Amino acid sequence: MDRSDRTDAFLQACGNKLSDVIRKRKRLYFVVRDEDLREIVRYLFLDMGCRLSTATATEVYDAIEVLYQFSHDPSGCYFCPRVRMTDKENPVMHSITPVVPGAEWIEREMFDFWGVTFRDHPRPERLLAKDHPNHLDKPLRFGRVS
Amino acid sequence: MGWYNKRLAKSIWVFHVSASPCNNCDIEILDLLTPKYDIERFGIRLVGSVRHADVLLLSGVINQKVAPKVRKLYEQAPRPIFVVGIGTCPSGGCCFNDSYNLTPKREDIIPIDLYIPGCPPKPEAMIAGVAKLVEVLNG
Amino acid sequence: MKLSENANQIPVGPFHPLLEEAEYFNLTVEGETVVDIDMDIGWMHRGHEFISEQKTFTQSIFLVERICGICSTSHPLACVHAVEDVDNLEIPERAAYIRTLIGELERIHSHLLWLGLAGHFIGYDTLWMWAWKYREPVLQMFEVISGNRNHYGMMRVGGVARDVDPDRVKALDNILDTVDSKVHMIVKAAMDDPVLKSRLVGVGVLSREDAVAMCAVGPTSRASGVPWDVRKDEPGDAYGMVDFDVIVQNGGGVWDKLVVRLLEILESTRICRQCLEKLKTVKGPILNDVKEISAGEGIGRYEAPRGEVFHYVRTDGSNRAIRHKVRAPSYVNIPTFSASCKGIPIADALITLAAVDPCYCCTERALRVKGEDAGTIDFLTLSREKTERIRREIHG
Repeated sequence: MDRSDRTDAFLQACGNKLSDVIRKRKRLYFVVRDEDLREIVRYLFLDMGCRLSTATATEVYDAIEVLYQFSHDPSGCYFCPRVRMTDKENPVMHSITPVVPGAEWIEREMFDFWGVTFRDHPRPERLLAKDHPNHLDKPLRFGRVS
Repeated sequence: MGWYNKRLAKSIWVFHVSASPCNNCDIEILDLLTPKYDIERFGIRLVGSVRHADVLLLSGVINQKVAPKVRKLYEQAPRPIFVVGIGTCPSGGCCFNDSYNLTPKREDIIPIDLYIPGCPPKPEAMIAGVAKLVEVLNG
Repeated sequence: MKLSENANQIPVGPFHPLLEEAEYFNLTVEGETVVDIDMDIGWMHRGHEFISEQKTFTQSIFLVERICGICSTSHPLACVHAVEDVDNLEIPERAAYIRTLIGELERIHSHLLWLGLAGHFIGYDTLWMWAWKYREPVLQMFEVISGNRNHYGMMRVGGVARDVDPDRVKALDNILDTVDSKVHMIVKAAMDDPVLKSRLVGVGVLSREDAVAMCAVGPTSRASGVPWDVRKDEPGDAYGMVDFDVIVQNGGGVWDKLVVRLLEILESTRICRQCLEKLKTVKGPILNDVKEISAGEGIGRYEAPRGEVFHYVRTDGSNRAIRHKVRAPSYVNIPTFSASCKGIPIADALITLAAVDPCYCCTERALRVKGEDAGTIDFLTLSREKTERIRREIHG
């Protein structure tokens, strides 16, 4: 099955839960609601056999968004579900670590650097700033509010 | 301590402290021990414990988390101890000066006696630097 | 986790004679068996992602090169792929071959480096000295191409920074002959070595299920039977135009990781040979002029010696990224320790830790000379003399 078929099959299966779909060569970015994230991730990871590359948190002017990057290795395609949290002071979302064990470190890092709290995370601790002698709180968000 | 330093210069034992480097200087330090450069012909050996060391080879910008540990290593080392900063990072911070996680004053944590600049310095440069140190020790 | 009564904790690090970099492991042991492992990282964190957002694209290539000294082509390559992915830019054919050549040379030098360190970790220093001795010609090839042994500064958005002129191609061909014969010898010797075999077979096994669940990449997952390789899945640069095989083993232990790496060295020399042949015939520009990068998102990846390097760049139409995410291969490979280290004797733990070729500098991503030091002049002269000598050897 070539890559466009995969994308189409995915859009057919989950299309009603996605919004703001951006389709590029071998890349698919889309926004999902926090409640639907687990279901989408389960489909990508377990049914399609995608691999979680990483997740990226970004501060945009009205929200904090977390972008998970799933790689579909046989076709070289990327599926990127995006979750937007409008509460910038105290962003909370569901963890995907119960579905994808490989997401443990990256979610801890986002908690560390962006202050994003992940619900149901098996180990909600800091990662890089654990036992840090100085107070290193949300360093990547510092001074970035436009 | 002139007489002591002279004896020290015959066989310097070094301990390698990697304080958040990019790994490159560390690999080049290890490279010095391998057949092509073979720094053991000058009596220089890499040792496993800081308690045996005469010289600390420091590489990397020292970040805030590793700084107390580096300080502790320096305090544990037997005197006299000489510190050689390998690479651009200990001397100038390389391209990491804008980072939020750097210690502002590296000299306060660990006073460096000799800098070998370069990103990374070539093994020849490191040998030249250590030869300079031997010269100083000989007085 | 609740500890049983006869459990002990053994701290390893942050400064440990075996660990090249500062790293802290807390091994929980019962008798001799490791029952749990905890890792504390952050000793190398330098805040690359933060700094990169203040730099232009060309500057951030210089910066990401300094994430890790061993993968110092993989990160820039993935970074320029990411920026090129925003606008789907193409690069000239000659530049593609130069990129692939450098990437594959780096794979040879990194795998030989790991082989030596693995030998050192199991107390087999002969292998260390050997592997590192035969790694030197590869570094010499880098010196011929770029003028530096590490940190090559070759990548640019839209191509490469320097050309490899015909004289140098000839010189590289000669050095590659040496590398080829030595590498074949050492690979054969290591694969037949009874000492390595009896020490490493069946040690620290990572099952295929764990590798998939932990999202492991590179030789770590390929040794467990997961056949993905970015060079085949998404052939960027010249990888679509050269012939090579992806090495997969099914055992999952340290020995299988060793075999994967050793056989990959041979594949890499094959790719280098093909690239050098092509560089003799393919002419043309090496750098496309890139005027501006439009607003958008780009994902760039490259199969580094340790696995997939992933860069994500988000741009707003200016000359710098507003978000630059870096994910190094060790970041997903190191958590596999919790699966592969459980239930093995503590003597096997360190070689298992070393077997994924962990690179903490990558994981944590984390020149003003003081005074007028006379030593700098010495160093400059030495370095210039060496460059001159190499030039003479090539032309003379």
